[in-house]
Amino acid sequence: MLDSDVHYPKDLVGALDLLRKRPGAVVMAGGTDILREQGGRGLSLPAEVVCVHELPELRRAGLTERFLEIGAAVTLTEVLELGESVVPPLLAEAVGLVATPAIRNLATIGGNIACRSRFMDAWPALACLDAIIELRDAGGSTWINVNRLAGEDRRPAFPEGGLLTRIRVPLERWDALALKKVGPRDYPSPDTAVFAFVAKVEKGILSELRLAFAGEMAFRSAATESRMIGRTVPLSERERADASEAFRAEAAFLPEAQALRFGVLVDGALELLGR
Amino acid sequence: MLHVATVRSPVARGAVRSITFPRLPTGYRAILPADIPGRNRIASFGAEIPVLAHERVSYEGEPIALLAGPDPVVLEALVAATKVECEEEEPVLGWESFSSDQVVAKRVAIVGDPDLAFSIAPEVHEAVYVSGAIDHYYSEPQGAAAAYDYDKIAIWCATQWPYHVRDSVALALGCRAEEVSVRPTRLGVHLDGKLWYPSLLACHAAIAAVACGSPARLLLTREEDFLYTTKRARSSVSVRAALGPGNDLSAMDVRIALNVGAYGPLADEILSQAVLASTGAYGCPNLRVEGYAVTTNTPPLGAFGGLGASHALFAVEAHANRLAAAAGEDPADWKSRNVLKKGSALITGEPLREEAPYAAILERLSLASDYRRKHACYELVRKRRSGKSDGPLRGIGLSFAYQGTGQFLSGDRSNAYSVEVGLDKELKVQIKTSAAAGGGGVLDIWRKTASSALGVPLANVRVASADTDESPNSGPSTLSRGVTVVNRLVENACAAIQKRRFRDPLPLTARSAYRIPKPISWEEGRVRGSPFDTAAWAGAAVELELDPWTLDPRPLGVWLCVDGGQVVSPERARAALRAGCADALGTCLSERFDPSGGKGKEDQYFRYGLLPLNELPPISVDFIEPPRKSPVKGIGELPFDTVPAAFLTAISQAAGAGFSCLPVPSSQIIRAVESA
Amino acid sequence: MTLSFILNGEDVSAKARSVDRLSDVLHDQFGLLGVQSDCRSGRCGRCLVFLDGRLAPSCLLPAFKARGREIITIEGFSQTEDYRDIEEGFKEAGVETCGFCEGPKIMAAAALLERRPRPTNSEILEFMSAAPCRCTDPEALIRAVRSSAELKARRRYRRAGQ
Repeated sequence: MLDSDVHYPKDLVGALDLLRKRPGAVVMAGGTDILREQGGRGLSLPAEVVCVHELPELRRAGLTERFLEIGAAVTLTEVLELGESVVPPLLAEAVGLVATPAIRNLATIGGNIACRSRFMDAWPALACLDAIIELRDAGGSTWINVNRLAGEDRRPAFPEGGLLTRIRVPLERWDALALKKVGPRDYPSPDTAVFAFVAKVEKGILSELRLAFAGEMAFRSAATESRMIGRTVPLSERERADASEAFRAEAAFLPEAQALRFGVLVDGALELLGR
Repeated sequence: MLHVATVRSPVARGAVRSITFPRLPTGYRAILPADIPGRNRIASFGAEIPVLAHERVSYEGEPIALLAGPDPVVLEALVAATKVECEEEEPVLGWESFSSDQVVAKRVAIVGDPDLAFSIAPEVHEAVYVSGAIDHYYSEPQGAAAAYDYDKIAIWCATQWPYHVRDSVALALGCRAEEVSVRPTRLGVHLDGKLWYPSLLACHAAIAAVACGSPARLLLTREEDFLYTTKRARSSVSVRAALGPGNDLSAMDVRIALNVGAYGPLADEILSQAVLASTGAYGCPNLRVEGYAVTTNTPPLGAFGGLGASHALFAVEAHANRLAAAAGEDPADWKSRNVLKKGSALITGEPLREEAPYAAILERLSLASDYRRKHACYELVRKRRSGKSDGPLRGIGLSFAYQGTGQFLSGDRSNAYSVEVGLDKELKVQIKTSAAAGGGGVLDIWRKTASSALGVPLANVRVASADTDESPNSGPSTLSRGVTVVNRLVENACAAIQKRRFRDPLPLTARSAYRIPKPISWEEGRVRGSPFDTAAWAGAAVELELDPWTLDPRPLGVWLCVDGGQVVSPERARAALRAGCADALGTCLSERFDPSGGKGKEDQYFRYGLLPLNELPPISVDFIEPPRKSPVKGIGELPFDTVPAAFLTAISQAAGAGFSCLPVPSSQIIRAVESA
Repeated sequence: MTLSFILNGEDVSAKARSVDRLSDVLHDQFGLLGVQSDCRSGRCGRCLVFLDGRLAPSCLLPAFKARGREIITIEGFSQTEDYRDIEEGFKEAGVETCGFCEGPKIMAAAALLERRPRPTNSEILEFMSAAPCRCTDPEALIRAVRSSAELKARRRYRRAGQ
């Protein structure tokens, strides 16, 4: 039975140094994703674990005029406690739907984004909001758009080798937005998925539309979105039907039950633009 | 204290060729079927289940060996490293259609001339109603501990029937029953899942304790409990019903298939209860019911919140609503005409001895839920709707059912059930019954009964522990027998004391024994006997709306109205029924599980959960005032007997489709709404 | 490994392997029977503790995550006035439970009332779902938490007035 080596770096520099020296080590913040599907008595952990839940650099949150920046080890409860005037409503809604209050006290925003096995609840909201994440290693840092965390096969493609340190969420005003979760809520099952939608209307013209849906696979179609831009709002019934068909066709790769769910949700979003 | 872990069959069906344990550290020991000192069998309600499967296995996860040792984490790793080689055979998983080899019980009942009635019926409606397996989600995972206590082996476990545990352990150890002392632990919520299964775990703990010469404790993880212990039986009930002149029920043809998993320990009882409930609360002059309990290579499946009636009651109530819709009537009116009346013949030919209080229940429900107006309104919306954006999609459903009182239909196998009451010189009363293992509010009911019968203060009445050394065998705690059978025995014992009290000196003790009622007999398609002495009746209304975004059903309200006879503690009963309605609603919405195993089985454990409380609607429970001298009746099963059918009707109305299984998959709801 | 942390107000040390869950260490090494490793997936609530003042499922925490932190179990919490307010509130509301979920529900109620002195019904039920159980009447739980909130407020008001 493997007894892992557990490291408790005091700061980010220490953590990056540890990760450089131990390339196989796994980062643990809240740990809820690592422990999620282990129902046995003893835990099965990687040989080396680096605990980052107390790194001060990962525990900060800050607000500028243009964006909200959250440290990766900020818990989901702490994200919500930043308050309605600070956290974009789409993100707050998504985070508030994760699991249960007790699990949200442990789970971190970074852990939610960095899950390798599926997209967790925050991804669709962050994708719609065009959030970016910072990955750091001993050599420096890179910022990556959250949308790039979905691979070509539509599954999570979180880059290996870097430590997720910060998430930057643009602050924008939206004229229409919606976030819906389907499937079991307290546990991320294959049937669980989140739908996020935002739109901007300027002088009666649709100027921005973003729509994301993710569970085990992710949907985002910039091409279909951009074909909608420039249309007059409210959209006609015909326009809504055409758009619905286009989105549904693009989402045909989803498992059948999820594709049906997605279709209904897209119609709901388009309905908002039809009023 | 040693911990015990279970080595399980990796295949659903086959022959065990070898079990190879890893090198066991000092202090760890393997226990095989050959180590069982007595019989490698427990007997349960007509079936025999291996304590440790030997040579052949019948379901994936079946216990085939045990490992004992001081550290449960090490044990878990040792179990994982144990290699079990099997000659795997194709498992038998089909049950809705099945072969005759799979049938462990069959019941047929024929009344009147259904073939003739169908041949002349102007309208016939048919549907198949399917109920899935449900997990009991006990208050804690199951387990047992065993240790020598001087000249006895003591067993600790949570059980609905301590004497079944005692007798099973005695058989497995090859000792006398008196050498086993069962000390029941807190039972918590059981929903009838702990009638016999704890005996199996107790045997495992006892065998380990004896083999190792040390106290031993076996505690399942919740994952093990979910995957491998007994669940609610699955059912498929096909109902074909004919409407005669005036749209009244003229004939029914019901076929019930119950998947009872491996061994089918409660098959007889569950099937009997289901068949006898197959006409629900309605009179049907021409009837054929064929019921089959079918084994499959899954863990044993059985009782859940009752012993089988709810499978049939769900189907017949949902179908009654469908018949009413076909007749263009409000189901409330159709049911009013067709409901059993006092004197109506039951399926056994016996007359119903009391009035089914349908009118009173309907009146209360209608008032509380505004059923009539809502039903008419939602029907109008349903018929006129052309798309899902035509406004909220809502539905309301009504159901009516009963819970028979306290009797095993497949026959109680013992005439040794009794209760003992003692009154001492200080006028302190002690009630002794093994049914105390069931715990809960029923203990207060017995205390109140004794206090009233003997004229002593309530504070003077105590219920002794349910230890088999202390209390007599009062039979299994199920079918609300605590409030009916056991309560009557308490009353009778007190009456016996009262008779002697003023001529014989105290202390006095009296024992009251259970007189087994005549069992139901099944012969050549005729069933005879009395399905129940008395019954509690209930109606439920469930209203729901389909979420405008996701089309997920969102319950808006549940109303339950009960004629439960004399309800000793109405507030407590109300709270228990509200909890029951919440559970029943959960099984309609989100509790879904396929016990046939295979890939993805472990995932099901993580996905299965109770309905979050903040998704519950308001739940209202009302009691009809009983006539004077009404007996105490069992009411605990009524939420499961009524809420599912009302829910199914409501969601069918909301979506504009005729659903017939619960939970309804979201894809079916979406397709129904989009095709409207 | 040896872990040092504060448990129910006292500095303690525990020996643990990396494979050990915090819930098992608390239960087995410290005899805290109110912490049960039940579902081992953070959902049943039987292992709820306060971790640095926040409600957390200790079965989802490897023991090594306790290092340097403060943990309060139901045993420790039951010595506090907040606990007594909630216990009394549950009693006043006539809440009857199976016995297994009562402690976790009390912990969840405490966590809620700490941050929401006047919770909505929906918030109450969301927090009560931290210890899901088939035994409880949702209406009674709402009454219980409201009653507890009132008792807590009255006690604090009395203290403020002194």
